[in-house]
Amino acid sequence: MTNHSVAAALLALTSGTVLLCAALALWRRAARGIVSALRVQGYALAATAAVLGVQLHEPLLLVTSGLLVAVKGVAIPMLFGRLVRLDPASSETDPVVNVPASLVAAVVLTLVAFVATRPIVESVRGVPITLVPFGFATVLIGFFVLVARRKAVSQMVGLLLVDNGIGLVALLLTTGVPLLIELGGTLDVLLVVVVLRVLVTRMHAQLGVLDLDSLQELRD
Amino acid sequence: MNAAGISVWQIGSVAVQVALCVVGAPLLVGLMRTVRCRLEGRVGPPVRQTWRDLRKLLAKQRTQPEQSSFFFAVAPVVLVATTIVVIAFTPMVTTRTALLGGSDLFAIVFLLLLGSVSLALAALDTGTAFGGMGSSRLMAIVALAEPALLVAILALAAPVHSSSLPVIVAGSLHHPMWLATPQRLLAFGAFVIVILAESGRLPVDNPATHLELTMIHEALMLEYSGPDLAFVVLGESLRLTVLLALLSNLFFPWGIATALTGVSFVVAIAVLAAKVALLAVAVAAGEVAVAKLRLFRVPELLAGAFVLSVLAVLSALVIA
Amino acid sequence: MISILVLALPLCAVLVALGVGWRPWMPWAGVAADAAVVVAGFAVALRDVHHVAPTGAGGELRIDSLSAFMVIVIGVVSMLASWGSVRYLRSEVRSEQCTPRQAVQYAALIQLFVATMVLAVLAANIGILWVAIEATTITTTFLVGHRRNRGALEASWKYIVLCSVGIALAFLGTVLVYLAAVHAGGHSLHALEWTWLSAHAHALNPAVMRLAVGLLVLGYGTKVGLVPMHSWLPDAHSQSPAPVSALMSGVLLSVAFYALLRFKVIAVLCLGESYPRELFVAMALLSLALASLLLLTQRDLKRALAYSSTEHMGLLALGAAAGGPLAITGVLLHILGHGLAKGVLFLSSGEVALADATSDVDAAGGLLERRPALGGAVALGLAALLGFPPFSLFLSELTMMRGEVADHMAWAVGLSLVALAIAFAGLTTLGRRLLFASRPGQATGLHTPLLVMAPLVVGLSLCAAIGVFAWPFDAIVHAAAKLVTS
Repeated sequence: MTNHSVAAALLALTSGTVLLCAALALWRRAARGIVSALRVQGYALAATAAVLGVQLHEPLLLVTSGLLVAVKGVAIPMLFGRLVRLDPASSETDPVVNVPASLVAAVVLTLVAFVATRPIVESVRGVPITLVPFGFATVLIGFFVLVARRKAVSQMVGLLLVDNGIGLVALLLTTGVPLLIELGGTLDVLLVVVVLRVLVTRMHAQLGVLDLDSLQELRD
Repeated sequence: MNAAGISVWQIGSVAVQVALCVVGAPLLVGLMRTVRCRLEGRVGPPVRQTWRDLRKLLAKQRTQPEQSSFFFAVAPVVLVATTIVVIAFTPMVTTRTALLGGSDLFAIVFLLLLGSVSLALAALDTGTAFGGMGSSRLMAIVALAEPALLVAILALAAPVHSSSLPVIVAGSLHHPMWLATPQRLLAFGAFVIVILAESGRLPVDNPATHLELTMIHEALMLEYSGPDLAFVVLGESLRLTVLLALLSNLFFPWGIATALTGVSFVVAIAVLAAKVALLAVAVAAGEVAVAKLRLFRVPELLAGAFVLSVLAVLSALVIA
Repeated sequence: MISILVLALPLCAVLVALGVGWRPWMPWAGVAADAAVVVAGFAVALRDVHHVAPTGAGGELRIDSLSAFMVIVIGVVSMLASWGSVRYLRSEVRSEQCTPRQAVQYAALIQLFVATMVLAVLAANIGILWVAIEATTITTTFLVGHRRNRGALEASWKYIVLCSVGIALAFLGTVLVYLAAVHAGGHSLHALEWTWLSAHAHALNPAVMRLAVGLLVLGYGTKVGLVPMHSWLPDAHSQSPAPVSALMSGVLLSVAFYALLRFKVIAVLCLGESYPRELFVAMALLSLALASLLLLTQRDLKRALAYSSTEHMGLLALGAAAGGPLAITGVLLHILGHGLAKGVLFLSSGEVALADATSDVDAAGGLLERRPALGGAVALGLAALLGFPPFSLFLSELTMMRGEVADHMAWAVGLSLVALAIAFAGLTTLGRRLLFASRPGQATGLHTPLLVMAPLVVGLSLCAAIGVFAWPFDAIVHAAAKLVTS
């Protein structure tokens, strides 16, 4: 058993966890459960960066990993924690698409991701690249959450699933974008979550619910 | 399979595992019941109680509902017979089983399904409301659980390019790294959920309830009595045992005999018994902790198992 | 050096706003800063007309003629918007619609928003560009939600979620470009620079670049307001305060469009003419068709103006699809003209809404009779938007269409003319109802304060002057167009 194949197995494990957490976010109904799926996903993403960093002797990737732990593992779930406490009973009681159908949709989306990434996986070969479909599938499931879930917290999670999926793709494809970009991107995501949190707080203050169905006045 | 390759040991192993399962299965169910009682702070019946019940039932007279056909009487026998065939085919003690040609995972899954279907048909055959309800619920669960199980098997079969059980088990013994790959972890999750659903344990079905709103397996056997009931109970416990044995050998294969020697056989039997007992205790302990899902949430759980198994197959494809 | 200066100007205004707190004169700092941005932009642009030598700071920022031109556009439109904000903030604070603290927040955010847009056009590499465009979303969300009512809440939620999704797609595209660049021998940040990418475009892996370009066009297209991802735009534009709408419609869309222009050059060099052209034409025609049809049904002035923005972005995308020197010249000129006309119209719509507490055209009818000066500005603004001479939009639309015909896209010109005719019908009906349909018993001949009229007059006269004299923009636009002509 060489170091290389151990690293490959670990990478498969961590990136598989990222995708699994996306499916879990679709599976769980309670806001708390959805947020904890997101937290685990953040840690899995950080672990992917760490494994890549150790395998390729790239200390910058370890910095990235630390950044991911701080932002996606700790800070963002903490920001969510307050929202969950704001409306503890909040859960997807009546999602637009019911849970079994959503899970089947997640399976279909995963298959789509595998087919869609074939050209990249085949034209750029390499061990972590073969795992890219996991990231794409996470992105697609994130989009699905955005469409199929109407609770404010679920939508925020959907957005972050998209972001984490893209983060995974970036890590696996290019073994990390330049640190400056990574820093800017992570900061942007954090700020987006902060802004959304303010909006949700306003929503709670004005409407008393965290449900986007109550916001459907503007349309043509 | 060439006849020259089959030794006394191999034929012996089949006989031993069938005998062991038939004797051990009711004890296993008794063990689970006892563990559950103890964890809930009750004393509970002794482990042997299941066997005592079976002996009592076997001594009783047969009865049959008036409108039912011969199928009602045949179903328990079919259940026990198919499960025993499955036990004979499953490599429990050694990977070099005598019935190599038959121990294909797909064949085993379909044999198990045959038992379920015959029981569901027999319940319909009685013409009572509970029978119909139970069989429709069972079919709803099976329709979701079977695809999940089959897809999960694909994930296990992919690395060795074979769906033959002994080959899969031997393969994972040779490559211990396979045990921690994502596809195996995902497939393990799917297997556990499906096994709980198929054997009618919590959170899918509560084996200790006769509440008509929720019961599934109990509704199926409601009209059975005497020796027929004994057969159904034995068949159900055999099914649980073989499923747990499958789970333990597919995902924790250590201890199974790869060489045909007496010592390794004895070790393998002891390890197998320990593993299955341990899994049974774990299931029982888990049952104390979880509540039964509402019936309409069960499809969500099984759809989750399906997702897990599909992800397992995709991971297997990616990593291969 | 100059690029840091340009970036620092609006940031100074932010500091002033935060430092002095609410004073009635405080918003003027923003106007001054934006005017200085225009001057700096001109300085660079006029210098670069003769010798194209981009200057930068430490490699992350870079200012060439195209960036300088965009800086001028940003500066001019944000100057008008800041000017309008002076009046807007004073009346909001006086009528206690918002607290002084919120007014300070607004003034600071609007200049921060200008700074992020300047950063986007000055970014030397596509990573910084991405960060800057995402930052524009973050800074504008609170501006969109400034009024804090239900509609503003819904609009800002839709805005940030949809734009973040779009920007996430663009990030995926950026990552793929980076992948292709690294495999073509690029290294770290250097590989993401515009100059490096266009110099090595043919060495980039086409399979990867195809996917990347698709994602980038879809992603930045969201911010441009092009059709499949446009639905945030009418809500955000109609719910924000008028100066913010003016800024978003006038320049934010164009800044995102600037990114598309730059990416298209690389895409054409790497993948050939047809694939990027098909993408642009598809999005352009869809936007034109949908926006012009929806324009017919609008009753709200700001919503109608928002759809008109989508329509104009469609026209720009069509011009960019052609990609020849004539078409690109037209596109750049149109960016400027559209920014001015839309800025004027949104600012006047704010004044209409402030006086009549509604921007519904029927409720605010008879504007020309009631408030002749304001009504006149709206009428001229609409004329400019519809492409009447002497306004520069006439010139730029004509140039784009000539360019498109020269690039063998006469069929697309035909289709776009149909859409333009429908939009024309929609906007003129709307204008007629707003300007003429007066009700008996209304007060007539009301005075409009100079503070309101000044930015409107300046905007309109600039738009007309550019249309008539073109100087000095002819030279600037030619130099800028050279950089993004395939």
